[in-house]
Amino acid sequence: MADMQQLYDAVLNGDANLARSVTEKAIEDGFPPKDLLDSYMIPAMDEVGRLFEEDEYFVPELLISARAMKSALEILRPLLAEGGVEPVGKVAIGTVKGDLHDIGKNLVAAMLEGGGFEVIDLGVDVGPEKFIAAVKEKGVQVVAMSALLTTTMPSMKTTLQEIQAAGIRDQVKVMVGGAPVTERYASEIGADAYSDNASAAVTIARSFVNG
Amino acid sequence: MKSRERVRRTLEFENPDRPPFELWVLPWTHLHYPEELEEIQKSFPSDFAGPPLEYRQKPATQGNPHRIGSYVDEWGCEFTNIQDGVIGEVKTPLILDWEQDVEKVHFPREWLTFDRGLVNEFCRSTDLYVRAGCCPRPFEQLQFLRGTENLYMDLADPPKEFQQFLNKMHSFYCELLEEWAKTEVDSVMIMDDWGAQKSLLISPRSWRQLFKPLYKDYIDIAHSRGKTVFMHSDGHILGIIPDLIELGLDALNSQVFCMGLDRLAAFKGQITFWGEIDRQRLLPEGSLQEIRQAVSDFHQALYDSGGVIAQCEFGLAAKPQNVREVFKAWRDNFSL
Repeated sequence: MADMQQLYDAVLNGDANLARSVTEKAIEDGFPPKDLLDSYMIPAMDEVGRLFEEDEYFVPELLISARAMKSALEILRPLLAEGGVEPVGKVAIGTVKGDLHDIGKNLVAAMLEGGGFEVIDLGVDVGPEKFIAAVKEKGVQVVAMSALLTTTMPSMKTTLQEIQAAGIRDQVKVMVGGAPVTERYASEIGADAYSDNASAAVTIARSFVNG
Repeated sequence: MKSRERVRRTLEFENPDRPPFELWVLPWTHLHYPEELEEIQKSFPSDFAGPPLEYRQKPATQGNPHRIGSYVDEWGCEFTNIQDGVIGEVKTPLILDWEQDVEKVHFPREWLTFDRGLVNEFCRSTDLYVRAGCCPRPFEQLQFLRGTENLYMDLADPPKEFQQFLNKMHSFYCELLEEWAKTEVDSVMIMDDWGAQKSLLISPRSWRQLFKPLYKDYIDIAHSRGKTVFMHSDGHILGIIPDLIELGLDALNSQVFCMGLDRLAAFKGQITFWGEIDRQRLLPEGSLQEIRQAVSDFHQALYDSGGVIAQCEFGLAAKPQNVREVFKAWRDNFSL
């Protein structure tokens, strides 16, 4: 019988091989995929987020935990889909038009995925039309925008205006982040939230989808 | 007081007439504010200079790092850029596999062929404080070579090939610094961004294990030849400042407003604070009064018979009038 505490520990400690093998064993043993996700993997990533916010984990630890989570999710995802299990929510994330930086965006995407969200990663240099298409065509509930340059921050405002003009502003919550972005700027451009780190972004996204 | 003497006294906390001035300028600024920049540079001349650089063997770069398009750096890393005036991003790192790809890296030994005579001639001809024309940056160069996320995951559990490569890179940087330390420059510079907005990027334990010994060697090489060492590191790096002081670093350029002046005051008199003024919010958005207040707060918190360099960056979206006000405020603070 698979030891489920091992799955929690594998994600927490960033051991991708162990996470995969324990998940495979658990499925063989008949554990429901949703239980693995909800009872072990997401709580492990929540703990990673807590440790990150308390300066006990740093970017390397966060990334290897996300990698371990991903390796287990690759096994679970088709089974969850077969069973009609829905993700916690859907997020479209991207670095805004004119900006190629992606480490911050990738960290947030990894933590959101670890938090049980379906993440549609639109990449870098993402124009408003791609965010809008994700809302209209994929039904995302949250748009997350990142910018590293002061000069590309205005693309966040433009994207929000375009989302408004497309008539879908009330269908989606918008969160922003990145080195030059501030709470004040987020408020000025009409974003729903600002996050200064990847872990807090998960908490905010959960609050959006939980109403 | 001449610049070289002003900087020396600043670094040794021996009451210079005022903090030395230094304005950092991004290529973006030359494109957007050429006239304003010229006026500021004329009104508040820098106390620092870099020597002219001529290489017997030209470093093998391709393209312009600050123009839209592709640029290949001295190590062979290809940057993609979609905005004029800033540096691009490496999208396909050279080292995807430590076992197979290390040979693709070009160690820029051309840097060792700089014209030492020309450098020395310049140092003798100027009263400015001269910093060497090299800048070891092991962590950042590793990111360009390996890819940022790959490197971070390597750091969580470093493979032996990583450590071997780091040792090789470090030996090269030491050789480069040895060469520069033989010249008549006053100082050398090193850099690596170690901070995120609220914390270090990697654990202090990893940093002490993997990178602190490298910086120790760089600082020791410079000091053994009577050169001072200046370091730039962006982000919230409070957790390693005591280590940098312990290593004997002379001057640190960091985002002091990101960390908080009150927290940094504990290190006053132990290291020189080489600027800056908040370029995330104040320089782009602040009022002149806020700028003057920031300079005053900086002065109060960190000046100790020296130990402060009036430095800021005229970079992306900074208002020219705010940059000018930084230097005006520093000058006013030290006017009789």
